Amino acid sequence: MIAKELKEEVYKCIKCGICLTPCPVYNLLRFEGASPRGRVQLIKKILEGKTELSENFQSLLFTCLLCETCTANCPSGLKTDRLMKAMRSEIQERLGTDWQKRMLGNLLRDKRRLPFFLFCERTRENLFSFQEGKSGLPADSELPRPGSKTLRQQVPEVNPVPESKGKVLYFTGCATNYFYPNVGKSVIKVLNRLGMEVILPGGQMCCGLPLMQAGGRKIALKNIRENLKLFNRKDVDAVVVDCAACGAALKKEYALILEEMGEDATPANELAGKVMDISQILARSDLGKSLKPVPGRVTYHDPCHLGRSQGVREEPRNLLRRIPGVELVEMAGADACCGGGAALPWEHPDVASAIGRNKIQSIRETRATVVASGCPWCRRQIGENLGGEQVRVVHPVEILAEALGET
Amino acid sequence: MLSPDVLLKFISIVGPERCKTSREDLLAYSYDAYVNEFLPDAVLLPKTTAEVAEIMKVASAQNVFVTPRGAGSGLGSGSLAKQGGVVLTFSMMNRIVEINTANRYAVVEPGAVIGEFQRAVEKLNLFYPPDPGSANVATMGGSVVMNAGGMRGVKYGVTRDYVLGLEVVLPSGEVMQTGAVTAKDVTGYDLTRLICGSEGTLALVTKVIVRLLPKPKTKRTLQAIYNRLDEAGNTVARIIEAGIIPATLELMDKTIIKSLEDFLHLGLPLDAAAVLLIDVDGEPETVEKQANRVAEFCKSQGARDVRVSQSEKENEQLWVARRAAFGAIARVRPTCIIEDATVPVSLLASAIKKILEVGERNRVQIAVLAHAGDGNLHPFFLCDHRDKEEMARVERAMDELVDYAMSVGGTLSGEHGIGIAKSKYLPRQLSPASLSLMRGIKKTFDPQGILNPGSFLEHRP
Repeated sequence: MIAKELKEEVYKCIKCGICLTPCPVYNLLRFEGASPRGRVQLIKKILEGKTELSENFQSLLFTCLLCETCTANCPSGLKTDRLMKAMRSEIQERLGTDWQKRMLGNLLRDKRRLPFFLFCERTRENLFSFQEGKSGLPADSELPRPGSKTLRQQVPEVNPVPESKGKVLYFTGCATNYFYPNVGKSVIKVLNRLGMEVILPGGQMCCGLPLMQAGGRKIALKNIRENLKLFNRKDVDAVVVDCAACGAALKKEYALILEEMGEDATPANELAGKVMDISQILARSDLGKSLKPVPGRVTYHDPCHLGRSQGVREEPRNLLRRIPGVELVEMAGADACCGGGAALPWEHPDVASAIGRNKIQSIRETRATVVASGCPWCRRQIGENLGGEQVRVVHPVEILAEALGET
Repeated sequence: MLSPDVLLKFISIVGPERCKTSREDLLAYSYDAYVNEFLPDAVLLPKTTAEVAEIMKVASAQNVFVTPRGAGSGLGSGSLAKQGGVVLTFSMMNRIVEINTANRYAVVEPGAVIGEFQRAVEKLNLFYPPDPGSANVATMGGSVVMNAGGMRGVKYGVTRDYVLGLEVVLPSGEVMQTGAVTAKDVTGYDLTRLICGSEGTLALVTKVIVRLLPKPKTKRTLQAIYNRLDEAGNTVARIIEAGIIPATLELMDKTIIKSLEDFLHLGLPLDAAAVLLIDVDGEPETVEKQANRVAEFCKSQGARDVRVSQSEKENEQLWVARRAAFGAIARVRPTCIIEDATVPVSLLASAIKKILEVGERNRVQIAVLAHAGDGNLHPFFLCDHRDKEEMARVERAMDELVDYAMSVGGTLSGEHGIGIAKSKYLPRQLSPASLSLMRGIKKTFDPQGILNPGSFLEHRP
């Protein structure tokens, strides 16, 4: 059921059309049904009982990056993204789930199935491939090899420091844990250097964001509750995340979704106050003078879930500027979505890669050799669309870890 | 309903992807920024003039209604299929064909968004002045057939003043050129200007040639803040009377200021009764002088404070805010009907007074926005279209306002057009002879009456 307050949102849309031009999907497809204004109209008609939850409607609803550009630009303050997320879950509840999303649900709400699936994927037997040629997963080389260890298998649960200046919990997220363990190691190294004890609570689950975006709010409840139990602790200084999407989930989505579902959001709100993106915690820290230069022309891409969702824009840039040797160059439209959001590369691969190409164009124009971005999904999307180009895609914290040198 | 046979013909022209007939797609083309909704039978998205011509050949042969649409940001149902048929939307014909710096003109396709076009020419140090509030949404084609005005009207005029020529497709499917790329052209009747402002009833615009100006070297934005709305109104009349011509001269009352502040948090003065947003542009020395003169002038007319923006970014933010006014007002009430009556600028203050009176008498909440410099009022009637009784009061208030505008020599619509929103008032301003001549012109262009049926000339409430 869509919450009553959200239902009233549709009447805030005065059809001014300001959401059209900035919407990456509308800009590409250029028909009204693919625009935020069009989707709001359709949702209104469905809520009023004037049209059906047809397949075509579902397809239009899922031709969306959930990048929140429309929400940010809406003069009347309509929470377009909330409405679309709630509608996605309404579809799941009313019509059931198709096998692809059911499978995603099964993978992400269980602690053992995802690694198993990933290793099978690595063998390229396409046993579980969601879609011909496009699995929505990182490039083949980044998939874990059978027998290789995940981040949480590689590092201890507690990473203490002598003379601890603070204690943080580290929410690793699936992407860092399985695909990009170097990001995780960098986070631990940097925080340890700053004198912080880093704890990776065992048993942490997927943040649940991919499930919620696919409409599986109900099945994601288990993830939300489990993670709240592990991370909503009074005895730590902060909960650190390196993934923009996980950060948005922990800081914002948990509380909003619990509220929209009529559940108690108090623990989620408590947790939200403690969650910090790694760039935020580093912005307040003295990195010392011993950084060694990491020469390179770097451009920064704002992940939607970090910039628009969390309002974190300057911290990662400032972090990069503080690293000697880094020449930071702004790309045009740095905060425009790269096309990798809300499983669009999986739902509508052609649309996603066309939007990705615009981002690549902006990157090329900067002549940067490195793209930094604190979101694994952006990293995957940009990396894949860059193809064979000699541009590295990294997390800002990886550059910092490099600057800190060995030990 | 369209016959399957006709649909097949359309599909053979644009392909199945660009001929939309699903219920969802039709619903998504059933609205514009006004309150009424009309469901089309099909939506066509052509990419070339040739496709548009083919579509019109089929439409005229089969007597199918066709209604052109740009971005659907209009305020009078002008781009809706009021009597069914096809909505032909230009969103995929959005290229800038040519920007000619040597002769200062540009050729654009109708679906190009005005704001994007403006930014493209400004990169080349050129300037396209027409600047409707919806410039970041509305299309060049839409602004031509509606003869859009906007915020720079006071100094630079309206769309009509910049259109040099057009490529159009007639209802018969014939392609025709009007005008020329030269600044001067008196060859024959001025069909360009006839089509400009025709509300999509005469022909489908498939290319627009506009003249460009050199970009003003510098610009300053001033905010003059008032404790009384009438003093702001008076200042406007005095500025114009004094022979000062700012690039823009916009008035916003406290309701508008509050909703914009809620949206963008720019630090607008929430305790003020009105703000005048004033741009001066030109050579740096003159701009400096003019800005000071305007500031002094506003203070002498009762402004409690005048803030001068310090950077291009600050200018930009203020104008982003101003452009958002229509949307932002939905924070107050879900429906906003904008009046567009325009009066001689010397009467601005009394017109505002009249608006407030009318609102009070009919118990309708009205927020006042105005392109004040050219007397173009935009009272926002704030309501909820689901409330029939309230809507009746809104209608009464509109009637009274029209009476007033007519009584002082004003016009029904300064820039939004008539559409179906104001067609019932048309005989108040146009004589029977004038109406009959207009209907004759329509018949000459469109003898079958297939283009934008149900629009302003035919609508009888």
